[in-house]
Amino acid sequence: MLIELSGVSKIYNQGRANEVRALTDIDLGVEQGSMVCLKGPSGSGKSTLLAIIGCIFPPTSGKAAIAERQLARLPDRFLTLHRRETIGFIFQRFNVLPELTVLENITLPLLPLGVAPKERKLRAQELLERFSISHRAQFPAGQISGGELQRVAIARALINNQPIILADEPTAHLDTTLSREFMEIMQQLKATGKTIVIASHDPLVFEHPAIDRTVTIKDGRIHVP
Amino acid sequence: MAQTNLEKQINILDYALSSLWRRRMKSLNVLLVFAAVIFLLASFQMVTQALSDKAKQVLVYTPEITVQKMSAGRQEAIPLAYRDKLARIFGIRRVVPRIWGYYFDEVLLANYTVMGMDVEEMPEGSRLDTTLASGRMPTPDEQGRVVIGHSVKKALDLEGRTTFSFFRPDLSLKAFTVSGEFSRDTDILTNDLIVMNLADARDLYAIPAGMVTDLCVYVANPKEIDTIARKISEALPSVRVLTRPQIQKTYQVVFGWRSGFGSICLLSALAAFVILAWDKASGLSPEERREIAILKVLGWETSDILAVRFWESVIVSGLACILGITAAYIHVVYFAASLFRPVLMGWSVLRPDLHLLPRMAAGDILLILAFTVIPYLAATVIPAWRSATVPADSALGG
Repeated sequence: MLIELSGVSKIYNQGRANEVRALTDIDLGVEQGSMVCLKGPSGSGKSTLLAIIGCIFPPTSGKAAIAERQLARLPDRFLTLHRRETIGFIFQRFNVLPELTVLENITLPLLPLGVAPKERKLRAQELLERFSISHRAQFPAGQISGGELQRVAIARALINNQPIILADEPTAHLDTTLSREFMEIMQQLKATGKTIVIASHDPLVFEHPAIDRTVTIKDGRIHVP
Repeated sequence: MAQTNLEKQINILDYALSSLWRRRMKSLNVLLVFAAVIFLLASFQMVTQALSDKAKQVLVYTPEITVQKMSAGRQEAIPLAYRDKLARIFGIRRVVPRIWGYYFDEVLLANYTVMGMDVEEMPEGSRLDTTLASGRMPTPDEQGRVVIGHSVKKALDLEGRTTFSFFRPDLSLKAFTVSGEFSRDTDILTNDLIVMNLADARDLYAIPAGMVTDLCVYVANPKEIDTIARKISEALPSVRVLTRPQIQKTYQVVFGWRSGFGSICLLSALAAFVILAWDKASGLSPEERREIAILKVLGWETSDILAVRFWESVIVSGLACILGITAAYIHVVYFAASLFRPVLMGWSVLRPDLHLLPRMAAGDILLILAFTVIPYLAATVIPAWRSATVPADSALGG
């Protein structure tokens, strides 16, 4: 298993008056090269689970192993280093920086890795061509269409060739055509061996034939119908 | 590894530059205000240094000891007979009588300094004629000949002629012909000065024969100035004895006090700027919070984000320093420190038109950096720590 969670719980502000239990006893395994959808309504805990898988923070209790590395009690700095090497993120609304150019946005994850400008440009151009947006390379990201923005976000998640792609409600602000296009790209990535976890409550996503498994989350627990 | 680290710092510096460019209006405003503060501080430092240097340089031409007669706490004419008493003190090389006074020009509302002295009596090496830009000093038997400073020439409008007249106390006119001009290097002392021979000065002020205003004493060994001054005080209890080091010290204290006062005012302005910078750096706009969260999810560490803030501050403060110090240099050299002249040189009625050459030693630059860049870096980078700890998950949805 590339992603293995066992008895994972997450409590925000533990011991304080505003304590919130976001996840309870989550057991989840994701095999390499598979595509899993985390389904559930807003506030069900999908993003929290995605954040744990994405090494943004460790679980409060339970075991979480991502790419053979145990996350529990791992200091923040090592979580970041592990995330850099392992995880590519696609955000809701794609979260690009609108004043930066498309090329600059795509290469952002490479800056703290000390990758030289020439190498950065080379890697970005390869992805720009793959997603047919090379003509937009020098455009500010705030001035391109929604479909192009989506491809910029995917290219940024792939720039460091990480084995795992996490997408958080990627189609929430897309029309049907762009949502379908997004899933087609995910399918292509799956075919190249990437492991993909998508948090979404969009039927276009969880009913897509490329999805290997759908996990329903309700009130912080895995819901078995 | 070292190569990667260097490349990483270059990448972060590159990002800091692009970040400043993206917020160029805000960055430009901060840069201009900061440069203005540095400009004021550097100008003040340069003009104070230049004036002190100039004073030190030209006071070499003043006598080593000046003796004046005091009565009821006020200065009065001193008898020439005291000269013989002084000549008997061992260690005195020469005693030169001098008439020193002021002449108020009611038409031009200008105040000139008049010095009557037989320059040939002055010892070699201390002679005023070495400070001339043109002409020569009047000899004791040349009547009505004067050497003048730069501003006197301008005030009397002597561009096309060489003669002018002053009123004696009985309102009769005394005519003078300009026979030379002082070098502008000695402006700080000679700018408003008119030098004539002793007889002409006595005639102009109607000072009786056998009396002068001061006796200038030159000593054989400059290291013994204080000892000889003490001997003079003991031999002539009714006189005031002024030594060159005392006069030099007075100048330094005056400039020091004035520059200190000015510096305190300017440092207050700097403190206000630093507080403003701190306040700005502490507050985060929603866009900035979002940007930090995105960067962190993309694998940036807190230290990387702090490094971006650090480089941004270094770039802004470095540029502000270059701009501020360059503007200060231009202000002092080409505009004669016009902003600070009233503070540093506001005594004379005849405004001295000094030609200042600013001196900026490495120590002065370090001092300005210490008082400006370091507080600015502290004020922007320390609160940035708070910004850099924005949790990465705030970039994710609910």
